[in-house]
Amino acid sequence: MLGERSSVNGKNQSLFKDRPIKILLAKPGIDGHDRGIFVLSKAFRDAGMEVIYPGLLPKPEDVVEIAVNEDVDVIALSLLNGAHLTVFKKVVDIMKKRGIKDIAVVGGGTIPDEDKPKLEKMGITGNYGPGTPLSVIIEHVKKRAEEARKLKMA
Amino acid sequence: MSILREFYHNATDNVLNRRLINDIMPTKTKSFWQKKLEEIERSKSGTNADYDSWKKRTLDPWNEKTHFSPAEYTNSSGFDLKEIYTSKDIPNDYEKKRLGMPGEYPFTRGIYPNMYRGKRWTMRMFSGFGTPEDTNHRLRYLIKHGETGLSIAFDMPTLYGYDCTNERAEGEVGKCGVNVSSLKDMEVIFKGIDLSKVSTSMTINAPAAVLTAMYAVVAQKKNIPIEMLAGTVQADILKEYIAQKEWIYPPEAHIRLIRDMMVFCTNNMPKWNYISISGYHIREAGASALQELAFTLADGFFYVDLGLQAGLEIKRFAPRLSFFFNSSINFFEEIAKLRAARRIWAEVLKEKYGVTDKRSLGLKFHTQTSGYTLTWQQPLNNIVRTTIEGMAAVLGGTQSLHTNSYDEAWALPSEDAVKVALRTQQIISEESGIPDVIDPLGGSYYLEWLTDKMVEETYRYFEQIDRLGGILEAVKKGYIQKEIAATSYKRQIRLEQGKETMVGANKYVDEDEKPISILRISRKAEKAQVARLKSVKSKRNELHVQKTLLDLENAMRTENENTFPYIMKAVEAYATLEEISNVGRKVFGEWKEPIIV
Amino acid sequence: MKINEIISGVLRGDKTSISRAISIVEGEPGSKNSRMLMEKIYKNIGNAHIIGITGPPGIGKSTLIGRLSGIITNSGKRVSIVAIDASSPFSGGAFLGNRIRMQESLARNGIFMRSIASRGMEGGLTASIWETVKILDAGGSDYIIVETVGAGQSDIEVVNLAHTVIVVLGPGLGDQIQALKAGIMEIASIFVVNKIDLPGAYIAIKDLQDTLAMSPQKGWKIPVLGVNSLDGTGFDELISSIGAHMDYIQTNDNAKEEIIKKELKVIAMEELRRSFERKMNAFLSDQKNGEILIKGSVNIYQIVDSILHDDKE
Repeated sequence: MLGERSSVNGKNQSLFKDRPIKILLAKPGIDGHDRGIFVLSKAFRDAGMEVIYPGLLPKPEDVVEIAVNEDVDVIALSLLNGAHLTVFKKVVDIMKKRGIKDIAVVGGGTIPDEDKPKLEKMGITGNYGPGTPLSVIIEHVKKRAEEARKLKMA
Repeated sequence: MSILREFYHNATDNVLNRRLINDIMPTKTKSFWQKKLEEIERSKSGTNADYDSWKKRTLDPWNEKTHFSPAEYTNSSGFDLKEIYTSKDIPNDYEKKRLGMPGEYPFTRGIYPNMYRGKRWTMRMFSGFGTPEDTNHRLRYLIKHGETGLSIAFDMPTLYGYDCTNERAEGEVGKCGVNVSSLKDMEVIFKGIDLSKVSTSMTINAPAAVLTAMYAVVAQKKNIPIEMLAGTVQADILKEYIAQKEWIYPPEAHIRLIRDMMVFCTNNMPKWNYISISGYHIREAGASALQELAFTLADGFFYVDLGLQAGLEIKRFAPRLSFFFNSSINFFEEIAKLRAARRIWAEVLKEKYGVTDKRSLGLKFHTQTSGYTLTWQQPLNNIVRTTIEGMAAVLGGTQSLHTNSYDEAWALPSEDAVKVALRTQQIISEESGIPDVIDPLGGSYYLEWLTDKMVEETYRYFEQIDRLGGILEAVKKGYIQKEIAATSYKRQIRLEQGKETMVGANKYVDEDEKPISILRISRKAEKAQVARLKSVKSKRNELHVQKTLLDLENAMRTENENTFPYIMKAVEAYATLEEISNVGRKVFGEWKEPIIV
Repeated sequence: MKINEIISGVLRGDKTSISRAISIVEGEPGSKNSRMLMEKIYKNIGNAHIIGITGPPGIGKSTLIGRLSGIITNSGKRVSIVAIDASSPFSGGAFLGNRIRMQESLARNGIFMRSIASRGMEGGLTASIWETVKILDAGGSDYIIVETVGAGQSDIEVVNLAHTVIVVLGPGLGDQIQALKAGIMEIASIFVVNKIDLPGAYIAIKDLQDTLAMSPQKGWKIPVLGVNSLDGTGFDELISSIGAHMDYIQTNDNAKEEIIKKELKVIAMEELRRSFERKMNAFLSDQKNGEILIKGSVNIYQIVDSILHDDKE
């Protein structure tokens, strides 16, 4: 919930136990609608997470590079221009190519229901639309972060 | 001080001297805005004895007896609202000095003497999606159903100056509007439409000059003189940096290209409105009504300064600047905002710029109902929201109106939904009786108080912006963007806490509701566009294209050369949007936004 | 990833391993893994030159770092950046490293950048940043830039680890010096006045020069440089001053000794702090001690003494 600190408290948790959830937010396509991503950045910060938002128009390669450098737990991708199937896929493809398995990817934006299974199949979960309560999104990110931490330890 | 003086005497460099003088003796006089604020303060009647005694006599005892604890009553602009307003809440000289009559300074009640009795607002619906053929079909459909002005939206690659073949355009072609990569696409969009008879509004900013040039060339090829072309391009680059974030170059470069277009159109295309100063996107990005008003008008005055610096006479270009506002769901706040906009524009142009020409003083604007207030949940509710917002726009005296379709929260609108939206306007216009009397809410204590308050708080923002070095500096520093992000976050938290309501979304929710079906643009559009561009490129005279691009580059490098005719030449040679934009990318570089969060 | 994989990856210069190694020293300071990691890579450090950059917010440090790192990379050297951002005192969350990341040169030159939240740590921050820097050093960086906002005591400690400390200021100096914590002026190797194109910049340079002229300087003479990070004015001088300072350290035994002493102090202090924290926590978690504290029968200084000298761990 908002205002509550988010450190990952899974059992058998020893890796980076002192580190809060670290999340990278990105809009990797040509899409300037950043109202939502600003709101989310602030909400994640106020939920105790460490937040990276590298500004508009990052290339998918840049997104992955930053995620690796910062060793984030979660990458949150957002697009409101309808190109999620193409562009989100580019990001996960690059991750796959670089052998990155221990960073979770979540999505959001104007994503029609019928696209959600396709995204989930790529490992992109959440896929929330406008109007989703922040608490729902935050809970989901926490859950995915916990999974990522476990993989980082393995 | 002694060190400074010594340094000053030792300095030999003239530039240094000048700098030191500025450092040591900053000038300090009262600003125009401070004076206006003092004027407003002086005119306030102070205490409101009627209200106070009524509150003590009747309201408080009532609340006590009924155990009523008042909630927080406020609007998006953050104004605290009283239970009721009376004549004492209106300044003494208000009616004469700040309200006036329609068609007269300061135009608070409307810019035309007979308003909607003389001419209804233009019903302008946004179209543009998929391929140019799709858009051409939609435009003809709307003309057939009585639409009186065309309005075109472009897809993301076009808005950012990329061709459909660019790697970054993959998956985005035709998604949020129509794709235009070369002149050929524009020819298709306007096929069978008489450009001398329609007025066309194009929602395009960073590449506005290129699209305007394309429109002009399409007309020329149809043997229509460009003097006859009527319409608007948005070309408001400041609000791109503030809100919509669709830029290519650093601000100064875009501003220079806009200046060139202003000068060209002033001299050659008298019916072309070359800047539509837009608050719409500022609002959609999360601003309050007040912020929308203040930042948009600040942008407006920036363009006035730009025209003056380019050596244009104010009465030749000010009437060609038009505005584009958002109409959101808080009914009175929106009406007040629109009325305040007219008054501020007139007051500032007259008192600060010394303008007397009536056509320059009257602020004209287009309004679109809010997209942000629409919900994907229970989508039919959106028709009601749009009706309220459309009424506010009409009561605020708009010159044209776009009503959103109820399915727009989720995707591009379907044909049926567009029809309902258009019918909504027609009902307001022809059934409701609202347009029969000019400014029918004028004189409402609440509305007049609110209008005056909007003006006052706008001047306060102007003062702050000037202290930051003007609107351009404030934008480059990220100040404006931060203000908006803060407002937007605050509102989101209020929604989460249930302090604000969105029916169907955070209250009266239908469980298990699924999003409505949507208009999907298949990748077919992309394939068709890519194929067309390839064919255009194979047929054109390559040597000629490269020559026009080189000429454009030279023009861009020469500060005092007008780039617009060179853009027209390149367009005519079928140089693509991206090729033309790349010339600018080479000369001016690309822009990276300052940090906002 | 297994710790041995991570260690060999760091020594190979593999970005993913370097990044994960940093997560370990940052996320579990003082743990067995973290200690093992540092010991294993220790023989491979000592090649990088560490540049600390500090100064008040809004002065253009990020733009300066963007340009500086670009220039160094273009000369064929590997640059890494460590940026420290303040955590929110309310939620513990933070926005990280965004200002620097905005700089175009980073992505273009493949510069490794890591941001670290201060998390209101007292002292612990310095140690984990020091360890981060060493990991980057072992990973093959030639230059490591450490950036902090020069506002708190820990910021001073952090930049104090650097070989060359650049303090960035701007026009209108008075307020900025106020905003900087006392002590930061003393550790500067180079002063830079950014935004030289703005009014007030020349006075700032002059003021700094006068202030420096009044304080005794032996050995290294601290330069005051004017730059404009947006157009690159003054960067030639900045680069050559950094080079001169590197030479100075390398040829001057006193300077070298100072640096080693600083490092030793940081590691030792951190070990002490951790060990005391363990003792303190053990003391506080014993319920009997709580009763004693409330009763107030034992003097608080006596309690501190007994915690400090409790040798069983």
